[in-house]
Amino acid sequence: MRKIAIVGSPNVGKSVMFNNLTGSYATVSNYPGTTVEVLRGKARIGSEEFEVIDTPGMYSFLPITEEERVSRAIILDEQPCVILHIIDAKNLERMLPLTLQFLEAGLLVILVLNIIDEVRDLGINIDVLHLEKELNIPVVETVSTTGEGMDILKGRIEEHVKRFC
Amino acid sequence: MLKDFAKRIGYDDPLEIYLSRIESLLLSDYKITKRAIAILLLQEDNEMLDRIKDKEKERAEEILKVIQEAKAHYSHPLSYIISLRRQKETNRISQAVMSFKKAGKVSFSERLSKIMMNPLTGGPILLAVLYYGLYKFVGTFGAGVLVDFLEDKVFGNYVNPFVTNLVSAAIPLKIIQDLLAGEYGVITLGVRYAFAIILPIVATFFFAFAIVEDTGYLPRLAMLVDQLFKKIGLSGRAVIPLVLGFGCDTMATMVTRTLPTKRERIIATLLLALAIPCSAQMGVILALLEGRPLGLIIWLGVIFLVFLIAGYLASKIMPGELPTFYMEIPPLRLPQFSNIFRKTASRLNWYFWEILPLFLFASVLIWLGQITGIFNFLVKILEYPIGWIGLPPQAAIAFLFGFFRRDYGAAGLYDLKKAGLLSGNQLIISCITITLFLPCIAQLLMNVKERGLRMGIAISIFILFFSFSIGYAVNLILTLLNLQL
Amino acid sequence: MLSEQAEEILEALWIQTEEQGAKPLDLGASRDEPAVEELVNLGFIRRDLGHIHLLEKGKSHAAGCVRRHRLAERLLVDVFDIKKRIIDEVSCKFEHLLHKGLEDNVCTLLGHPKSCPHGKSIPPGKCCSLKKDKRLLKIIAPLSELRAKDRGQISYLQAKDKTQMHKLIAIGALPGVSITLMQRFPSCVFKIGQSQFAVDKELASAIYVRLTR
Repeated sequence: MRKIAIVGSPNVGKSVMFNNLTGSYATVSNYPGTTVEVLRGKARIGSEEFEVIDTPGMYSFLPITEEERVSRAIILDEQPCVILHIIDAKNLERMLPLTLQFLEAGLLVILVLNIIDEVRDLGINIDVLHLEKELNIPVVETVSTTGEGMDILKGRIEEHVKRFC
Repeated sequence: MLKDFAKRIGYDDPLEIYLSRIESLLLSDYKITKRAIAILLLQEDNEMLDRIKDKEKERAEEILKVIQEAKAHYSHPLSYIISLRRQKETNRISQAVMSFKKAGKVSFSERLSKIMMNPLTGGPILLAVLYYGLYKFVGTFGAGVLVDFLEDKVFGNYVNPFVTNLVSAAIPLKIIQDLLAGEYGVITLGVRYAFAIILPIVATFFFAFAIVEDTGYLPRLAMLVDQLFKKIGLSGRAVIPLVLGFGCDTMATMVTRTLPTKRERIIATLLLALAIPCSAQMGVILALLEGRPLGLIIWLGVIFLVFLIAGYLASKIMPGELPTFYMEIPPLRLPQFSNIFRKTASRLNWYFWEILPLFLFASVLIWLGQITGIFNFLVKILEYPIGWIGLPPQAAIAFLFGFFRRDYGAAGLYDLKKAGLLSGNQLIISCITITLFLPCIAQLLMNVKERGLRMGIAISIFILFFSFSIGYAVNLILTLLNLQL
Repeated sequence: MLSEQAEEILEALWIQTEEQGAKPLDLGASRDEPAVEELVNLGFIRRDLGHIHLLEKGKSHAAGCVRRHRLAERLLVDVFDIKKRIIDEVSCKFEHLLHKGLEDNVCTLLGHPKSCPHGKSIPPGKCCSLKKDKRLLKIIAPLSELRAKDRGQISYLQAKDKTQMHKLIAIGALPGVSITLMQRFPSCVFKIGQSQFAVDKELASAIYVRLTR
């Protein structure tokens, strides 16, 4: 079974995304570091079933905490065919360095701009097409807690798998 | 399946040269690009270093030499240089794609956040959260209204008489009858406790905790208490497992994994086992001290003092680096009720599958201990320390049960109180001692699982002596001051 | 005013005897330097059998030389971003320009740094103990010493070790980033971009901010 790894900084909504994709329940809270263990579930996207892996938050590809080491090991050793990099969209400047590190490593990344509703509330606009062109990877906007953008995300995953896996 | 056409940033000249020199020395397959490996190596990633030593053998020496050369070239650590370059690129991209339509005004949640983090207003807010969340909702509603209903009405009137009748009709053997439906029977006590007392208390606690968690209050609390926590060898981050401990110490011990250093994890585990009463235990203690506000204050004061003293001593004794505190403060958010219900349900689910079997197992052990006489023997031994702290010998059995299940212990004391065997002083001393006394069997097992056998046992032995010493000290002070409460 | 050579000798002598606690300096080849004579005449050093000893009177001057050298290094690395290879060469010349008033101004500009880029401590000057009253002069200061609502750009990081540096990099506190201090008690709360972080005083004092007014 092909694997999808959900990665990103702490407290950006990785576990909610995991719950949305798999229909199971991983504990979700509003503080960094809720997930301390790797969680696995299954998700059907299009006609294919995937193993979805929820990882503890990582700030950088160069690990300092035990959880970051665990998350990196998943990426290095399990060779997921899709890396969903979830970011808190209002903090693009802080979150993109990790995306750049994934791209440096040649990983197959889909960038998920999560919590996009808070970006709108702050009066910020993000030009997604421009960002896709800059990075040359798919970029999707979501609000994981309401499910907004999930259909588009699944569509992009399907497309991505067809092209690269 | 490496993707080569995606965006890739360039570093400045000397760094690029070092990178390509390292890349040309990496001949094995790493599943990620050699460039990424080289970048990690330049940043002194020890895990990667071990990997290349393993895979590149003799070339590893050469690679190490290049790394040394690169490091000597710059006056800052290379991880800093590399991060700066990435941040520069990130800033360029962000500025290109982000536009600000209007200046955001200070929102209500932002103002609330400030009030929560201000030490002057944050204190009263904490007290309000504790009073309404813990005392009113969990204590009065969960441990009061719900427990009364389930225990007296459902179990007292229906389940217990039904089970007792059924068992005595169906099973002739007295011993088996006792196991299932006796004073400490698996069903009449084990299941009754689980469903009529623990379930409502723990469920209301988890529910309240979930609300507090999802608003984002906890990181703000962590920020407020950090300086105090530094004195006991922890950082503010430890507030999350410690608060969860008021619900279930066993679960909280598992959550200590989020603490960054081993030293902090051990201190937090010790404090959870010693000075944080779980909700089940607290429910019974509140009932024990009902109508004795002074007793409640002394109990609270002593437990809080012990928490600080034990933490302070532990932080002095334990070797290791001092904790640093850094934590993102997420925006305050309105909790989603669906998530709160799911989270409460998922935690209760965990609780019942992990803890309940142990509780039933404990009931069986108690039953076995009683019919074999081992318990009587242990009770006789325990009567000595019980005597030293000024309690009647009958309290020994409550303490023994307290080890198997904290709430049993407190419940045993409740029975003594009802029988009029405890004076006011004795009541307070026993409440203090049993709160501090050994963790329940589930927590002991979790301590061993998370901290290792030696540390788990060491913590238990320390607590055994410490709890009785405190009981002794409180008794002594009350006697010397000639106080009758 | 001392000659440049005399300052270099005082510096080397101070590092060897005061900082490393080693034996007095062997004069070796510089036996006949006029600078040695100069220092002896001033009563800063004592000479015997090819060795020189730092005297009480010379100590404060020597510490001042070391201080100027290390301040020069900080200035060159943090503000001018000069490469490590040439830093020694440049700072050796630069330090002699940092006299009297200028030295304290540079120190204040840099936020009274405690160590040089090589991690050695900088002997404190008069301005360092007066800094509470002179905060208006300050241009760069550690985050822990700013007032709530002060804003600026991170100028440099002065982490005590690699882990601390990585923590700061992890939360995105990098030079060039705009930062606002929101609160300083009981912990420092600052805002970078749209996110807020709480850190303890120790971590906050590693972030040096160039204030904007």
